[in-house]
Amino acid sequence: MTGILVGLVIGIPWLGAVVLWQTRDEHPRLQHGLAVGFSILAGLASLALIPFSSAATVINLPMGRFFGNLTFIADGLAVTLSAIACVIGSLAVIFSVDYMRGEEQLNRYYAFVLLFIGAMAGLVLSGNLLFMFLFWEITALCSYALISFYNDDPRAVAGGIKALIITQVGGVGLLAGALTTYATLGSYQVSDLLSKAETMPTGILGLVAFGFLLAAAAKSAQFPFHTWLPDAMEAPTPISALIHAATMVNAGVYLLARFYPAFEHVPGWTLSVTLVGLISALITAFMALIATDLKRALAYSTVSQLGYMVYAIGVGGVFASQFHLLSHAVFKALLFLAAGAVIHTAGTRDMRRMGALGKQMPFVCNVFILGALALAGLPILNGFWSKELILESGLSEGPWWAYAGMVLVAGMTAFYTFRMTWLVFFGEARESLHVHDAGNAMKISLGLLALGTLTTWLLVTPFNSLLQSTLPFHAIQSLNLSELAVEIFTAPATYAALAMIAAGLGIFWMVRKQASGRSAAWMDALSRESFGFDWLNQRISNWTLGLGSVLQKTQTGILSWNVVGILGALLMILIFLVWSVR
Amino acid sequence: MTLSPLNILLFGVVLLLAVGFYGLLITRNLIKIVLVLQILVKAAMLALVLAGKASGNLGLGQSVAATVIVADTIVAVVALALAVQVRRRTGTLDVAKISTLRG
Repeated sequence: MTGILVGLVIGIPWLGAVVLWQTRDEHPRLQHGLAVGFSILAGLASLALIPFSSAATVINLPMGRFFGNLTFIADGLAVTLSAIACVIGSLAVIFSVDYMRGEEQLNRYYAFVLLFIGAMAGLVLSGNLLFMFLFWEITALCSYALISFYNDDPRAVAGGIKALIITQVGGVGLLAGALTTYATLGSYQVSDLLSKAETMPTGILGLVAFGFLLAAAAKSAQFPFHTWLPDAMEAPTPISALIHAATMVNAGVYLLARFYPAFEHVPGWTLSVTLVGLISALITAFMALIATDLKRALAYSTVSQLGYMVYAIGVGGVFASQFHLLSHAVFKALLFLAAGAVIHTAGTRDMRRMGALGKQMPFVCNVFILGALALAGLPILNGFWSKELILESGLSEGPWWAYAGMVLVAGMTAFYTFRMTWLVFFGEARESLHVHDAGNAMKISLGLLALGTLTTWLLVTPFNSLLQSTLPFHAIQSLNLSELAVEIFTAPATYAALAMIAAGLGIFWMVRKQASGRSAAWMDALSRESFGFDWLNQRISNWTLGLGSVLQKTQTGILSWNVVGILGALLMILIFLVWSVR
Repeated sequence: MTLSPLNILLFGVVLLLAVGFYGLLITRNLIKIVLVLQILVKAAMLALVLAGKASGNLGLGQSVAATVIVADTIVAVVALALAVQVRRRTGTLDVAKISTLRG
């Protein structure tokens, strides 16, 4: 039964992708209907999988000597993430019915969305490192194809290629880790790596651990790879919601959480993870403070919140990070889709041209405020509980300076969130934009997500017992709702964070006139260049191109020179052979 | 180094290789290039038979060499046909001149 469900969760979206690919633009209703149908079926299958979760291998297909067995394990971590991917993915698809109405090439759009959802489910359910890498690369391919969906816009194409190249760097880390594991343990199975990690030599295990950290940082757009996510904003907005909330960026955090028990004793690993999370959260929160593009501000906030999750894993709070991942998936999907509704009708992404839209689109305004409150971490929305849980485990386990940094980020988060809300929905109208409220399909997905934002924290008890009972290596402490409430409301950490959030709000209220328009030139320059990392990216690609054009000169196409090259190589081999034999 | 049959054969392989590479280095005529490539392939064939003999697997070496003969003949035929066409269309067989006729 579990095996069939696992097959369905991956198979339904992929079947949908194949079917959608065959449809024509002449039947847009058919395309929308099929996409919604397949994605909802996948969402239902993924929800049905949750009660069947266990630590046991549910599918085991022999694939021969070189690949190991293709296994699928539906444990708590995997079923939660596949449910997030499929359910939030299906809500993004429902939203697309309104958002993408009248667009061309919907078959390409929906086929890649469904392929993306299926690949993400496969990635988290896979119990074989090599096939995990395969699914990992399929998600990278889909993100590229969807970010560049408007392929006549050069910025969209550039953003897609940037995402593809940077996540490939991470893919190399994952592949290197997987191959090293195979070379040492003789197996690609995730469970073998988790159970036999102590038997591996420290250096080898460190190689695997830092390879996986590289992969996770690139996929989750963490420092120093945080530059690709803001440029991915050229995608249609439902795709941004999909990438930020349901699929793609969660994969990196999942990878760290999955292998935390194997790597926690590698010297320097947890500290590196903590630092990566802290630095990403700090610098992207800074960039979000002055962003003027609505989607970019949301993108920076995603990187910042992912920084929280990575930081939580670094200080040992695997449960806290996964709980925040769940909360974040819900409220960030809500924020992105609400922003999409605004952008769709206003026709611009520049927040400086918006203002006072709240009266014209009350529904979108209300759900956006809900999402913003959750992002800022105010009680009693889901973002509050999970963020406080992270900060609390950070205070008890991690270094104090990292904790102080994260509390500061909480204040900055409150500031930029309210700046965003204020600029778009309140204040005075800076331009007379003719907008209308969201359509019905948009309202369905926004309403469901708003409901989720209000309630998913109530799931903490079943979520905790699910993870605890099915993850034998993770040593997750039990926690139920009342304990959580007591713990959160009696901890001083909570009040420190809340005070910081209040301070952020207060500062915003005082400077709201200045914050809406221009910002100081140095802040502008710093954030536009992503703190110099865009410059670094540019340098690296220029070096590569320069090296290519230098080496190009050796390709003369003249036969005699090629023969000289062949003879030279032969001579070198001969010398090496003679020298090594002696 | 004793003059065992294997060593004589090895000497032959190296000699043929040297002739072939020397030819490739100095030749500019397309038909001559096809000829020296044939010489190089003959060296490779001889080396295959030699390796078969040395490893006690003569049958395998000979059968691979026979396969190479077939493939190599096809290569020679096609290359010569191309050379004829090149001569007809460009009026020259000099590879240096042909390579400047890009377009």
